[in-house]
Amino acid sequence: MGPVELLHMSVFSQSFSPCGRFLAAGNNYGEIAVFSLSAALSPDASQASQKPILNFTAHDGPVFSLLSTDTHLLSAGNGEISAWSWAELIKKSTKAAWTRKPSYETSLEIPEINAMIINPKDNSLIVGGGDNNIHIMDMETGIFKSVLKGHTDYIHCLCFKEREEEILSGGEDGAVRIWDSRTNRPVHCIEVFKYEECARPQFGKWISCLATDSDWMLCGGGPSLSLWHLRSMSPTSVFPLPGCQREAVFYQDLIMSVGEGPHVSHCLHGGTVKAQIPCTPSSLNTLALNLKNTEHRVMTVGGSSHQIDVFTNFSYRAFSLSF
Amino acid sequence: MSIKFFRIVQCAFWRMGSITDDEVIRKRLLIDGDGAGDDRRINVLMKSFTKWCHSNFSPEEGFSQYQRMLTSLAQCEFSMGKTLLVYDMNLKEMENYEAIYADIERSITSAHEKIAECKKEIQRAKRIRKNRQEYDALARVIKQHPDRHETLKQLEALDRELQQLSHIKENVEDKLELRKKQFHVLLTTIQELQQTLENDEKMESDDTQESSMENGD
Repeated sequence: MGPVELLHMSVFSQSFSPCGRFLAAGNNYGEIAVFSLSAALSPDASQASQKPILNFTAHDGPVFSLLSTDTHLLSAGNGEISAWSWAELIKKSTKAAWTRKPSYETSLEIPEINAMIINPKDNSLIVGGGDNNIHIMDMETGIFKSVLKGHTDYIHCLCFKEREEEILSGGEDGAVRIWDSRTNRPVHCIEVFKYEECARPQFGKWISCLATDSDWMLCGGGPSLSLWHLRSMSPTSVFPLPGCQREAVFYQDLIMSVGEGPHVSHCLHGGTVKAQIPCTPSSLNTLALNLKNTEHRVMTVGGSSHQIDVFTNFSYRAFSLSF
Repeated sequence: MSIKFFRIVQCAFWRMGSITDDEVIRKRLLIDGDGAGDDRRINVLMKSFTKWCHSNFSPEEGFSQYQRMLTSLAQCEFSMGKTLLVYDMNLKEMENYEAIYADIERSITSAHEKIAECKKEIQRAKRIRKNRQEYDALARVIKQHPDRHETLKQLEALDRELQQLSHIKENVEDKLELRKKQFHVLLTTIQELQQTLENDEKMESDDTQESSMENGD
């Protein structure tokens, strides 16, 4: 990997292993790198422990989405989903467990897959991508059992509400659609750009990040990042963040979001921006929190750089892992 | 230890060769034959005591020797007392240190517990803060909508107006019915009268026709 390629690398997706000791990251060259967190966080960590323990090419196109189940790492690139066993990856074997494609209507162009989530209730995988539809695949059999149609433009992000078993999807058409996962029917459609307080017409109407916490939902992208109360379907707070936010999560009493701009923003539910922590990449695409393992409880962010910043205390950058 | 020293010195003198062994041995034993310090004092005391018992001293010499032995004994006792005190002191210091050690251990564990407590407190406080924030956010949205009492009052006023208007409508309808009926009565009476008049006319014309027919016959 030459210096020019390193310069142009962007990290699009990240996922922690089920044990919480490894981090997998996918970049725009189709490579997945596995980093050992226990080595990087140990007291005698060195420069070498910040390099990946395994780096392989997983897809032809960029790896837009990574997801970890209890045993496997799922990666999605241009239209296909591959599964890699974590146990095998830790042993540095790069053979995929399986590769599947959702059934697309046109076989001419292969749409990319932008987001994947797991529905734990019925063990199904929900993917959304460039063909404007959401495909649901049963994890055990591998059959794509249903398609949710409704969006008029490609889907950026997906989210799942555990309590009501609803799927939320946000897309380029500016609509956040809520689907019931049991009946596969649309329940609501919120067009965020139509609300004056959130809309930012200079950026567009696309929704690129969605997060949900029981009754509350965060959505942002072209319109400002805003907190919505889902019962009343009304925006309660709008966050005054300058750029377009690409990923946001709820964490304890804070909301953390990353997007354009070399910082991670910490916000409160009331609508105030509490802090902006600087990072190395000039703009960030993905944020991941390792909550499964209490020893390696870190937050990692990646974006337009070959470096992935690791935060042990969420208020400042500890060190960077590098592709 | 004195033997070793003697041996070393013996080796050195062998090299030199000029002084005989006996001389060396005698010299060493004279200086260092009894051991060092307290040990030496005790040995010297023992030797002088045996010498004093066995030899014939003149009374003054014997007495002075006796005095010397007493002082030596006193010195030995003094040094022993000192060592005993030091030993006691060391024991007490050890106990003291053990106590401090145990104390520090206890405070470490209690500090750990306090830290865990504080962490729980922080989690609780964060949850409370999040709930408050959510509450505030919802309250803001709710405030934007108009007050419930006002809306209720408006609804009541509208209700009353509606009732009044329907009352009026009822009245008007009743009146309309009444007038309709009155007109109906009037019209039927007129029609009946017309009918009777026509009948009468017809009867009259029939009568005249009959009379003219009779006349013509």
